[in-house]
Amino acid sequence: MAEYQNLFTQVQVEGPTYMGVELENPHDNGERIVPPFHLHLAGRLGNAQIGPIYLGFFGVAACVFFLIGFTSIGWNYLVQVNYSPIQFVRQLFWLSVDPPAPSWGLHLPPMNEGGWWLFAGFFITLSILLWWVRTYRRARALGMGTHVSWAFAGAIWLYLVLGLIRPVLLGRWSEAVPFGIFSHLDWTTAFSLRYGNLFYNPFHMLSIAFLYGSVLLFAMHAATILAVSRFGGEREIEQIVDRGTASERAALFWRWTMGFNATMESIHRWAWWFAVLTCVTGGIGILLTGTVVDNWYLWSVKHGVAPSYPELWGHVVDPAAGQSAPAVVPAAQ
Amino acid sequence: MNPTRTLLAAVLVGTALLLTGCEHPPMKHEQIGYRGTGMERIVNPRTVAENAPLHAAPEAAPAAPADGPKATLLYKNLQVLGDLNVAEFNRTMAAFTQWVAPNEGCTHCHNPANFADDSKYTKVVARRMIQMTREINGNWHDHVADTGVTCYTCHRGHNIPEKSWVAERETVTEGRMLGNNFGQNRAGMASVGNSSLPYDPYTPFLLKAHEIRVAGSTALPTGNKSSIKNAEATHGLMIHMSEALGVGCTWCHNTRAMAEWSQSTPQRVQAWHGIRMVRAINNDFIVPLTPITPPERLGAMGDIPKANCATCHQGANKPLMGAAMAKDYPALAGTARAPAPVAVARAGKN
Amino acid sequence: MAMLSFERKYRVRGGTLLGGDLFDFWVGPFYVGLFGVTTIFFAFLGTALLLYAASLGPTWNIWQINIAPPDLKYGLGLAPLREGGFWQIITVCALGAFGSWALREVEISRKLGMGYHVPFAYGFAVLAYFTLEVVRPVLLGAWGHGFPYGILSHLDWVSNVGYQFLHFHYNPAHMIAVSLFFTTTFALALHGALILSSTNPGVGEVVKSPEHEDTFFRDIIGYSVGTLGIHRLGLFLALAAVFFSAVCIVISGPFWTQGWPAWWGWWLRLPIWA
Repeated sequence: MAEYQNLFTQVQVEGPTYMGVELENPHDNGERIVPPFHLHLAGRLGNAQIGPIYLGFFGVAACVFFLIGFTSIGWNYLVQVNYSPIQFVRQLFWLSVDPPAPSWGLHLPPMNEGGWWLFAGFFITLSILLWWVRTYRRARALGMGTHVSWAFAGAIWLYLVLGLIRPVLLGRWSEAVPFGIFSHLDWTTAFSLRYGNLFYNPFHMLSIAFLYGSVLLFAMHAATILAVSRFGGEREIEQIVDRGTASERAALFWRWTMGFNATMESIHRWAWWFAVLTCVTGGIGILLTGTVVDNWYLWSVKHGVAPSYPELWGHVVDPAAGQSAPAVVPAAQ
Repeated sequence: MNPTRTLLAAVLVGTALLLTGCEHPPMKHEQIGYRGTGMERIVNPRTVAENAPLHAAPEAAPAAPADGPKATLLYKNLQVLGDLNVAEFNRTMAAFTQWVAPNEGCTHCHNPANFADDSKYTKVVARRMIQMTREINGNWHDHVADTGVTCYTCHRGHNIPEKSWVAERETVTEGRMLGNNFGQNRAGMASVGNSSLPYDPYTPFLLKAHEIRVAGSTALPTGNKSSIKNAEATHGLMIHMSEALGVGCTWCHNTRAMAEWSQSTPQRVQAWHGIRMVRAINNDFIVPLTPITPPERLGAMGDIPKANCATCHQGANKPLMGAAMAKDYPALAGTARAPAPVAVARAGKN
Repeated sequence: MAMLSFERKYRVRGGTLLGGDLFDFWVGPFYVGLFGVTTIFFAFLGTALLLYAASLGPTWNIWQINIAPPDLKYGLGLAPLREGGFWQIITVCALGAFGSWALREVEISRKLGMGYHVPFAYGFAVLAYFTLEVVRPVLLGAWGHGFPYGILSHLDWVSNVGYQFLHFHYNPAHMIAVSLFFTTTFALALHGALILSSTNPGVGEVVKSPEHEDTFFRDIIGYSVGTLGIHRLGLFLALAAVFFSAVCIVISGPFWTQGWPAWWGWWLRLPIWA
């Protein structure tokens, strides 16, 4: 009883390429560069058409600033491996541009003492903010809502907390995340070690719940739409304004399964909020760490959250406790 | 070759490549903490079997008669072993040779023309190392317990223990505009288990007494100024310790609260003393030997090879699987505070 | 009857996999079916056992309740109820309920003439759970390697299992899984936002079309995957995230016992660098 399950496009029909909805300002239409073309492989999954892309002042500026930041990181990597392209590839994951040492506080250090981190961070941040403007302006130019921009703003919030707001509140750049593959993972673990286990941070819990929830929602939603694609379910806007059998079956599937269903529009509101709250709660959790709470495990003990386990080996005490109280003073760096 | 085949071949080759980096079941396990806490130790029995010879302690030489004349009556220039009788002295010397210089024999340390002569630096070093061994056996019971250590614990038949450390060549960033790696972010550093953490976890913690603890002791901020970079350095040290002992973090910690002693296993206390012990012997016994050590024995930065956790442990959570060799050699028995001007004050207070 | 206005015409007989017409009915909004009955059975039994096991524990504090698996010494055998036996039965109940739920989704899909994408996707979540609680413990030779049932205690388990490998973030499958989780959430935000921005364009604007959606994304990044494509992409990303999560934990222990940073040695030792 084999039955077609919509996963890939079986037959591709190649029509003329489409330059996009006409913009009100004729000059703006000219900003669309890269003549569109069809890519068969892309067509297997979704639209085959690649391009055009809108250039515009903010897009160009964002790209230029991003390239400045990106190149400065790459150049630092290259010097770290003595300009060896082979070692650059071999060691790529280990290389990093680190923020200044704690002793620099919020001062501007020499370029090679963390100045490059500030330099790259400044330009990449600028680039991201300009890109945000671009998303906003493109949406307005097409007469659309600005939901993408505000979702993007949620991600920018988390990024700014990590790299700017929290370091500034704590008075040192050294708290920020380095630019590197393994090094940012080292930072993440060190952050949890320093602040007493991030798993015990309730906003981290929320953020993870929203992260997993987002993946769950997307799996549920995407699977539902594909399952009713034989009824035209992927034409969501049409289904929102003029409900068809695809929407009805999709809704009833969940209603019959779990007693509750979203609508074709509201599922996208659920989606938007779950995804946005991942970043928003994550940012709050990071922001509170070190500024308001210093040790999340002890905070949880204080508030009756941490479970206790039977002691299997008697009571272990701090061997330093008998001596002078251990001063928690940084020695290294 | 059609694209599907090429893709399939690529996937197969890729998978094979990934698997070469892996092990396979069955594994052996050991429970450390309360059930369900994930405090376990999983080891590969095949790796354990492969490494077993490294961790096998040699048989003790037959005991020497307890009576007889003192060695000082027969030999000259005995500064530390003079109390032994001749038979025990010779037995001990033979053991040292087997442990440290099995191929070179007596002349590794001794001038064959005059065994009492101190002209070879190795002899001076050996004497100091005997004092160090006594210091460890006598004053670091908290770490070595009744097992104690002998020359073999570290040397394992090599003139210089295979596991030692010297300072890393500094990355030249002075006067350069870019490329500073901040003493971390370097590929292939065994000292931190191949991670990109700060790759010298030894100098700050096993030579100097930098603060290892980074987590605050109160829920809310009360002045703990430890930085993320401090935490990375500590993590690097902990990776060194774990790999030196062939264990994971849960050997000592319930990692939900790394800093809390009440959550930790008794092994953490022993490890705490171990850090102080290594720091003390590096400062009081090993580093002072630098001037008499020939340059070819020194590291790139001109420092003497020093001890870390791996020097004795070599991948076993108890060196030589806990074999108590020291008890068979009275010459190595500890004396409370060795006669040489040894200070453990450097051990620091934390 | 708790029916939507259009619901009656969809409530028809048939499509069941097992049980024929016997349980082919609805209770309120819920479809029952044979697998609804088995779901209820396993879910009720499992929940009751959770509550009973919790009542035997030291606390009713919701954060601290902990139903732990057996000690490792029990291996793959049965443990006394209060020493992990409850955990074992609850795990069986959970798998029974999850499996029943998936089959019930298949029946509902058939009833509504839909594809099987949802139960297929749900199967990945069940697979991840099965990997954590059954596959990995079996490969390691003891049920005690499973994670405990408790809000905070399962986090402690994650922490301790991770730190056995010194720095779990270096686990390559974990890296891929986390990247996929982030990417899926990112894509979900974009998709949700795009639909909302087309259908809620602001005062005075008419609702926009998929042509606007495509144009918006082409203007921004030069490519729009399209209305059908985004759902394929989203499903693949989400399922890949779950799949690699399962991989990242099943290789930790059964296929790797050292620190995860050390795993990367093979890359540094490749002959191509010479």
